[in-house]
Amino acid sequence: MSDDPGRVRGALDRVAARLLDASVYERVGIAVGSTGLALLIGLVVVAAAGHNPLLFAQQLVVGSVGSTGAFTRTLRFTTLFILAGVAVAIAFRAGVFNIGVQGQLIVGGIACVLSILWLAPFVPNGTLGGVGLTLVGLLAAVVAGGLYAALPGVLKAYYGANEIITTIMLNFIAIGIVGWAVDGPLRPEDARSVRTEYLPEGVGLPSVVFSDPNFSILGLGLALGVVGVVAVGMTRTSFGYDMVTSGYQASAATFSGVDPQRTIVATMTLSGMVAGLVGAVFAIMVQGYFIDPSGIGTYGFDAIAVSLLAANNPVGVVPASLLFGALESSGSHVQIHSDVPVQLIDGIVGIVVLFVAAPELFRMLAKRTGLGGEKG
Amino acid sequence: MSLATGTSRRRLRLGGLALLAAVALAAVLVVRFDVPLERIFTVGFLNRTLMLASPIALAAVGGLYAEKSGVFNIGLEGFMIFGAITAAATLSLVGASSQLHVWLAIVAAVGVSLALTAGYAVLLIRYKADQIVAGLAVWFIGLGFAPFLASLLWGTVRSPGLASMNRYSVPYLAEVPVVGSILFNQSPLVVLTLVVVVAAWVVLYRTRYGYWIQAAGENPTALDTAGIDVNRVRYATVLFSGAMAGLGGAVLLAHAGTFIGTGDTMVDGRGWIAIVAYLFGNYNPIGAALAALLFGGLEGLQVQFQTVDIAVSGRLMGLLPYVGVIVVLTVWGKTRMPSSVGEPYESEE
Repeated sequence: MSDDPGRVRGALDRVAARLLDASVYERVGIAVGSTGLALLIGLVVVAAAGHNPLLFAQQLVVGSVGSTGAFTRTLRFTTLFILAGVAVAIAFRAGVFNIGVQGQLIVGGIACVLSILWLAPFVPNGTLGGVGLTLVGLLAAVVAGGLYAALPGVLKAYYGANEIITTIMLNFIAIGIVGWAVDGPLRPEDARSVRTEYLPEGVGLPSVVFSDPNFSILGLGLALGVVGVVAVGMTRTSFGYDMVTSGYQASAATFSGVDPQRTIVATMTLSGMVAGLVGAVFAIMVQGYFIDPSGIGTYGFDAIAVSLLAANNPVGVVPASLLFGALESSGSHVQIHSDVPVQLIDGIVGIVVLFVAAPELFRMLAKRTGLGGEKG
Repeated sequence: MSLATGTSRRRLRLGGLALLAAVALAAVLVVRFDVPLERIFTVGFLNRTLMLASPIALAAVGGLYAEKSGVFNIGLEGFMIFGAITAAATLSLVGASSQLHVWLAIVAAVGVSLALTAGYAVLLIRYKADQIVAGLAVWFIGLGFAPFLASLLWGTVRSPGLASMNRYSVPYLAEVPVVGSILFNQSPLVVLTLVVVVAAWVVLYRTRYGYWIQAAGENPTALDTAGIDVNRVRYATVLFSGAMAGLGGAVLLAHAGTFIGTGDTMVDGRGWIAIVAYLFGNYNPIGAALAALLFGGLEGLQVQFQTVDIAVSGRLMGLLPYVGVIVVLTVWGKTRMPSSVGEPYESEE
């Protein structure tokens, strides 16, 4: 965006410094406080809209953990949020604002579905073929998502194009092009709704523990595996060290010989690879085909909230995803069983992000309420 | 520095290439498909472009004021959504559809946006919230609450047909070819936008307050030393930016006549495009408005292509402005942002 890449970086440095100052307890406090306060505001809105807030609160609980079905659904969304949250965390941790996880997961998802559909005729039926196709799909998604994220990475690193805006634009472009394709060349003749062909029989993740056809414990396992790899990679490898250092102290990183431009591109690519995986898991585990991407849940956006709640720590993403998974899951319940429009939950997510952005607010609140005597 | 010159040379080359490629592609298409150019670039197209550019230009002028003073208001998109839904809700609630009510709805939209921006400004300036994350939050809140409100009001995220702003028409003068249609048969909101843009330019570059705004972004300490409250100036510009974004959203709605809350709502990235418009316009209100015209024109092409029966998917054509934004951001390297953007200011005393 300018000859001076210091603006965004400077802001990030300050956030990072602030977060580094904050003890773990304080971070957890801010996360819990933000979420609690946002939910409270949501309930006030429910009351203001003329509905019973207590009933709504009860529906939130019932809809997320009230039954095995609800709980499985929560885990399904949790899986997607963990992967998407890690994708965001990788970028944010390195000082790159990848707002394009939504677009990257769409590109990853369609690449996954297309590669499987194209290869299916050449692969033997049965378990082996299914497993092979599933792996191919996952790989295609990772590659496609990575490439789609590398583009804004290159534009930022070598041309100074602000990645916040380019990634948001690329989200619109991904939705538009994939939406057009799914409704046009990729739509089978007999399809009543806008969708691609169904994935072949054997492709999918088997439901081992729960009987929900749209959730597999293997998917959750994959997500947790990615968390492990990324967490270890960030803290125990030299590349991860370079990445995180350039996020916290760009000048120090450059001084110690890190190529900042290459780091930006690598970070974006890595982030997009994980984002692509979200699309693959969504296509393979949840949907079984691909739909108009404007109708896909905004996992890539909510993941920003997830990652921020976790202070961009990949391990912290897991509990934050569980929370957001529960929220999303109760949304499905609310949509059917309540008159309160389900979009309220998206609004609550936005408020969570707003509060997370202003930790000073909570510090001041804590000072005033906790110590009582002090006046600011 | 070699890095900087290298980058600018690379940009220049890329810019030239992009321009060349665009011209070549356009030429090939024109010849290949025998496109009737005179039927694409019509007066109607110019008028539509002006209408499409207005919301972007308004938000851009607001955003550049905030940024000039040192606050990056990345929440423009969100405030535009609030402006649009407020105007729609007001029109729907008063239930009348005269032109006066449309104006009333626009005023209400600006009022609500101002109130919301006030809270946002306090978070940014007093509580030193992270400007980027808070701005994104405003967008997310808008994306959630606008469709929520729409569902409460109309049972679906889409409003029924509401009143829209009519064009005014000056008798006789409107008959004059080209100019007559643009000047004398026009939406009053386009004229309003023009007034705002020119006024914003005058205030920024020709008044004392404008210099304070620039100083608040470039050298806040000096402004403070001169006895001006930096944060007060910043509050004013952030409030203005929210109001203008809200106005932009309301103008968008007043031209469309229906609120659409599906997907990214009817605002559909215009707030983000507005940010690019003022960067492209080098923080000059008039430059920003011209950039908005470019993006409005790219958007308007979609309709023109349909009228001359060029079979390109409308959905794909609708992506042109977004592609344009990426190209502009990549090629345009001259913007120099105010040096203190993003830094909360604390007075010594």
